[in-house]
Amino acid sequence: MDLTHQLELFPGCSVTLLLFSHVKNAAALRKKAVEGSIEGALINPAMIVDPFQILVAANKAVHLHKIGKMKTRTLYAEIIFSLSPNNNISDAFKKFGISDSDTAVLVVLVVDREKTVNLEDIASQVEGQQVSLDELPQLTDTAKVKKMYKVTPQEEKIGTLLDSIVCRMSTKDVL
Amino acid sequence: MAAAETEAGGLRSGMAGAAGPAVDEAGAGAGAGAGAAAAAPAVDEAGAAEEAEAPPPPLPGLQLVQQGAEARVYRGLFLGRAAVAKLRIPKRYRHPALEERLSRRRTAQEARSLLRCRRAGISAPVVYFVDYVTNSIYLEDIVGAITVQDHINSVQQSGNDTSSLLTLAEKMGELLARMHDEDLIHGDLTTSNILLRPPTEKLDLVLIDFGLSFISGLPEDKGVDLYVLEKAFLSTHPDTETMFKALLKTYAATSKKSGPVIKRLDEVRLRGRKRSMIG
Repeated sequence: MDLTHQLELFPGCSVTLLLFSHVKNAAALRKKAVEGSIEGALINPAMIVDPFQILVAANKAVHLHKIGKMKTRTLYAEIIFSLSPNNNISDAFKKFGISDSDTAVLVVLVVDREKTVNLEDIASQVEGQQVSLDELPQLTDTAKVKKMYKVTPQEEKIGTLLDSIVCRMSTKDVL
Repeated sequence: MAAAETEAGGLRSGMAGAAGPAVDEAGAGAGAGAGAAAAAPAVDEAGAAEEAEAPPPPLPGLQLVQQGAEARVYRGLFLGRAAVAKLRIPKRYRHPALEERLSRRRTAQEARSLLRCRRAGISAPVVYFVDYVTNSIYLEDIVGAITVQDHINSVQQSGNDTSSLLTLAEKMGELLARMHDEDLIHGDLTTSNILLRPPTEKLDLVLIDFGLSFISGLPEDKGVDLYVLEKAFLSTHPDTETMFKALLKTYAATSKKSGPVIKRLDEVRLRGRKRSMIG
């Protein structure tokens, strides 16, 4: 049901994605995330087109964490920030983090070799139904994504929406 | 990775130390003897430094594709996708501070140019990750693509229909016109830096290797860009003058600012080696 991927550049580090729909306690979850009492990044699935987008963000976040050059305070905040095409941290949280009225939540966990993943623990905190990541495309708001990432019409001809998004995410700090 | 870097750091400071006294003594005129003595240990360290270079990235299915002057190019799987990893080769003969700055600048320019291409609808690989510590860049691997160089060679060798080559030239002219209209100068235009996405017949071109690219609106820079391609073209592929003419024709037709560029190209041709500068 969930998706786990080992980060090739950081052996021992793996990223797990969990998708929940019909979530009732989004407000409470958001509060817990802000406090830092949840071991995971809570992301709005409407802004995600493919798990690869999350993997790219997580890879960058882990890289910056390892070299001590994160722009935010925690690894999970950094993942959310890496998803954003601009360098405004609070804007990133607003657009890519969950809001109180959301009914679907994407949870991202990063675990190092030593720590064990406690999926049940996270799942129990979410009052919703865990669904397969194959359902992610149904939850994506393509128009909103295109607007957020400012995808040009010429770009759509040479590649997928995911290509445009990933390119912006990975090159945002050089521009 | 960390171990290699500290080792490299240690070697660098060693070399800087050896170079220091050599420079001083050269200034004092006792250069030759002292220089040679200082150079010998420096050369040894350079030899040892070769082995202490950055190890290849731990990507599954990794294979070295090519080693150019600038970087080593590897193929492998990155985050579940076919990717190309370009690791810049540190040049030990450069001063370390200069080396770091240059390496970082080239990596940043490459990433910036690839994004600019994408935004303008010019086919270029997607950037997956840029590592500013090792100055390496992880890009989309266009599986099954061949370079235009290989394509032209195989078409010429098989003696097949060369009219398709003229269409290819036209497509190239169109692509370059669009790139130059974005004020993007490639800097290293050769037929091995343009790929053909499979199936080859579709003539779907992709530009790669933007390490020497920069932004400029000057017709001079665009003219030089085309001149570099012309030289590379004509020297690598015999009997392709008509091809290049077709390329320039389409370039002139597609680009809105081509007039001054073509004019500059003619002027640039008159410069260079074995050319008479008699006005």
